[in-house]
Order: sequence, then structure tokens, then C-alpha cells
Amino acid sequence: MRDRPEDKLRAEEDIKELMVRYRPIITFRVRKAIGAQNTDCDDLVSEILSQVMEKITSGEFRGESSLGTFVYTITSRRIVDYIREKTRVMKFAPEPEPFPDPQETLEQKEMSEKVQAALEKLKPKYRNALYLYYYQELSREEAAARLGISPRKVSELVNYALKLLRKEMKI
Amino acid sequence: MRKCKFEDMIDGYLLNKLSERDKELFEEHYFNCPACFEELQARSLIINTIKNHPEVLVSEEASLKVPLATRLKRELAAFFNVRQLAMTGVISLIFLAVIIAVVPKRQALLPDFTLTDTETVRGSSITLISPVIDMNQVPSFFEWKKLGENVEYQISISNHELLWKTTTKENRVVLPDEVKAKIVPGERYSWQVKAFGPDGSLIAVSSRVQFLVSTK
Repeated sequence: MRDRPEDKLRAEEDIKELMVRYRPIITFRVRKAIGAQNTDCDDLVSEILSQVMEKITSGEFRGESSLGTFVYTITSRRIVDYIREKTRVMKFAPEPEPFPDPQETLEQKEMSEKVQAALEKLKPKYRNALYLYYYQELSREEAAARLGISPRKVSELVNYALKLLRKEMKI
Repeated sequence: MRKCKFEDMIDGYLLNKLSERDKELFEEHYFNCPACFEELQARSLIINTIKNHPEVLVSEEASLKVPLATRLKRELAAFFNVRQLAMTGVISLIFLAVIIAVVPKRQALLPDFTLTDTETVRGSSITLISPVIDMNQVPSFFEWKKLGENVEYQISISNHELLWKTTTKENRVVLPDEVKAKIVPGERYSWQVKAFGPDGSLIAVSSRVQFLVSTK
């Protein structure tokens, strides 16, 4: 029952917390699916969030699954719908695929510069491993053959490089 | 640090290497696991930066002259005005000339390809895939990015002089044993690929990439 005033207040706080917690996750998922440069991203995220809120206040979320899974389902469904709509429109006005996305969004640019500075500070052995593994997208085994080291060592180099980067950038 | 078992899927997810089922599993997971989502965001930032700025990672020997020059220019522009920049340019050129004169051995790789009057370069260059960095052993094959169908590639490997030259329709070539035997650890080698169309016209030329076979 949500009729008592303190319950109502509680529910409002919960919803605020929910927005803060899930907005970045939904944004990440939407951008990955339709491309970060896509101007519809923000609208889609807001739409999904209000759908989530609506479904929670109307009692449609009954706690059968975790809240995360519930939000995930709504997000995925909305993305599928969006892509379907777009494909229909695209039949008449062909549009290039929104991804892969070579450009950086403005907000990411600053972060990206930090990463670049941190990458430049790495020793060549780490940079080589990152280059083959992430840029050329070689498997551990292929990268290992290229560098003349064991696949295990490739993982170690990549993982340690990631650790160093995060330490350098403090993220 | 406790490691979530889903953490291993982060790279696969970001590089689009997961199966459709694993992808969905992982997506549902990061909606529920704050630790994985945090790691995912951080790694996505790192991978995106690498994808957009690979030149940051390529070590000096392998890096091509153009990106390095652009990078320097960009960095310098942040500090100098045009006049100062020009001055710096002149000074660096003098330095460069001195360095080239002092260490001629390191620069001993002769460019093997020159364009004749009948040849023109159209389109983009060829991206060399391997070897572009220093190797622990003599590379057994050379690989580059395919340009399209019906293209003939001419590959040349040299140190002080031309070591080997061959043509192929594939985008990789296996090094014959007699050539392999000529490659000595500790020496610097370079290679380049030229692409020709069906009518024999030159379509693209790769940059000349150096590699070193280390002595151990």
C-alpha cells in the first residue's frame, strides 16, 4: 500500500536513487547499441527511465527478478524497437550505419586525453601488448606469437598495463 | 580485490567478440553488478582511446613518420605561436640533420621504391600488419591489409640493400627458408608493399616499416 504519506516519500526517494544509479548504465547500453554519436541517445535514455519509473509506480515490477534485470529488459526492448523503427525509415532514406563510431563525444574528449597521456608513459612492452590486443584485436595466442612470449604473459602484460593506467588516471 | 567471474567478458563485449547469447548474459549482468559496470566504463574509455589514437602506442621504431610529425605539431601548437613554431621547426630540422649525419648506420635503410613517370598513386596506402614491432625471432610471414579483389602485391624486404622481392595475390607471404637464413638477429630490416591493379597500374604504396630481430 502506498497511501500513507511516509511511504509515498520513501517511494520518491527510492526513485531518485534509482535514476542516479541506472542512468549511466542505461546510457552505456544505449550508446553501445546505436552509437555514441547518435543524437537520439539522450532522448532514448530519458524515455527508458520514465518507462521504468512508470512501471515501478504502477506496481508492474513485482520483484520476480532483480531490479537490474527489470531495467535491463525494458532497455533492451526499447532499443530493439528503436532499431526496428530506424530500419523502416532507412528503406526510404538510406543512412550510414551509426557504428563503429570513430569520433569521440565532447565530454569524453577530456578523459581520452588523460588516457593518452597515461598510455604514452607506459613502457614499450606494455604498449606493444595493448596495441596488438586492443587495436589489432588479436587473440591472446596470436599476440603471443607476434611478440614471441606465452599467451599467459600477454594477459599479464595487458592486465598490468590496465592497472597502471587506472592508477595513473585515478579512475 | 575480489574478481567477478564476468570480468573476463568485458574485453570480448567491448570488442564485439562475444556470441549473441554471451553478450545478452553479460549485458544483464552489468545492470546488476556495480563492480563490473565500473570496470566496463573504465575499460571502454581506454579501448576507445586506443582505437582512436593508436599512434600513442606504436613505439618509435615502428611508428610512421607522418603520425609522429602530426602529433609533435599538435603538442607544439599548444605551447608556441606560429613564429615560435617556425623557429622551433628550423632548429629541430638542424638537429635532425645532425642526428642523421652522426648516426648514419641507423638510417641505413634505402628506400627501395621510387615512382617513375608512368606510375601514379591513387587511393590510400596499404596498412602493414606484421611485423611492425620488434621481434624475438625471425618472422616467418609478412602480412598486410587486403585492398580488394584482383590486386597484385609486390613486397620487398631490405636492410642495407634489397634482400628479397616477390609478388603475390594474397595479403600475406611466407618467408622462404633461404631468405629467412639471411635475416640476422640484432640487425634492422625494413619492408614495404606496393599494390598493382589488374592492368598493372600502381594503386597504393605502404609506408616502409622497420623491425629488429632481437639477439636473445
